[in-house]
Amino acid sequence: MAPATLTSKRFTAHDEADAIEQAFAKGWSDGLPVVPPTEARVRAMLDAARLQPGHQVAFIRDRAVAVTAEKVAINAVMAGCRPEYMPVVVAAVEAIGDPRWSYHGPGTSTGGAGVLMIVNGPIARELDINAGDNLFGPGWRSNLTIGRAVRLVMRNVIGSLPGLLDRGTLGHPGKLSYVIAENEAESPWAPLHVERGFRPEQSVVTVIASDAPHQFYNQLSPGAEGILTTLADDMRISGTVMGQSTYVVVLAGEHMRTIAASGWDKKRIRQFLFEKTHNSYAHLKRTQRMSGEIAPGDEQKMRPLVASPDDILVVAAGGRAGAFSCYIPGWGSAKSSQATSKEVKR
Amino acid sequence: MIEILDPTTEAAAAQSIAWAPRPTALQGKRVALIQNTKFNSDQLLRRIGDILKAEYGVAEWKMYDKHNASVPAHAEIIEEIKKSADVMVAGIGD
Repeated sequence: MAPATLTSKRFTAHDEADAIEQAFAKGWSDGLPVVPPTEARVRAMLDAARLQPGHQVAFIRDRAVAVTAEKVAINAVMAGCRPEYMPVVVAAVEAIGDPRWSYHGPGTSTGGAGVLMIVNGPIARELDINAGDNLFGPGWRSNLTIGRAVRLVMRNVIGSLPGLLDRGTLGHPGKLSYVIAENEAESPWAPLHVERGFRPEQSVVTVIASDAPHQFYNQLSPGAEGILTTLADDMRISGTVMGQSTYVVVLAGEHMRTIAASGWDKKRIRQFLFEKTHNSYAHLKRTQRMSGEIAPGDEQKMRPLVASPDDILVVAAGGRAGAFSCYIPGWGSAKSSQATSKEVKR
Repeated sequence: MIEILDPTTEAAAAQSIAWAPRPTALQGKRVALIQNTKFNSDQLLRRIGDILKAEYGVAEWKMYDKHNASVPAHAEIIEEIKKSADVMVAGIGD
């Protein structure tokens, strides 16, 4: 059977350099040079994911846009992906098209969400998706190009152009690419995808509409409680504070080992952080985060940072050395966008 | 020479949006205000409703709330507005 025709409009360029300049001129780029999307490169991308060009990867309801495999492949080429990355890009695009992720809000909001993608399972190792030193970059092709491909799909296919339909007030560097893997090889804990109902041998991408990472420091504590007390104190006033959706807590090597040596699992970490990040109504009103005058009892009346301990996702990742870890506030409220996981199909 | 493929969504030639007919005047019309539930958006829309009534002669206005700011208006309120209003104002107040 002859391969299905690629239906995208074609442009000619004198050479690769001219094609790169044309991509800038046509508004296809995120600001960095792109790899020119030739038919051979696009077909290699589709073949690696075993997808027909017309396959609908996602339908973005609010924009009434069908995202086809052909368009995802073109943007993945432009981002600099290797063909074997394509299944991960496809799974991430499926996830942002899921009604639970609710594209319109995080794609458009002045809150400036990035698409944090956490990759679990064997594909993370196969593709060398970084889970260690310099976790958020730079240095790893898969981390930087997979996220870039998803953002190019958002821009070029779905129409989330910065300054037009993407109205992020500040944005953040993670909006270029925001991909990490969990350090499953060294983690003492159940990986994120297993906690979310998948089997360990499945490969899964979890997407979370997210602020930038906030690093915290604790070189003092010999055990879990001290480190997590520092973390909770940093987290307690972060994000929008009121009605936060999700937090991702990324525990790097030293903290991971110290907390695990205290015998704490992810569930206990979540429970502790949930309990220690409540704010009093009085404080929220005094600092102009909650409306209204301070009423009797407001000093004792407490509001949790997230609705439930399960809204704190704990991930083991980051360099082996250094008394640093981080937390990442999710965008918006729980009603606005939920963390969404999709299996990587191969 | 090399050939490159367009990464953008190309609008189908026949695609069009069926706009509802626009009223030529607001006199006597019933207005639906859709508020996105953000802080103060109700106040902004209430003020708009009052101005439409006082200065443009609309018959009445009624406010409808979305489930939250990040989702489209839900089917129930759209159906209700279709039945009970001639004109609709949707907006955000941040």
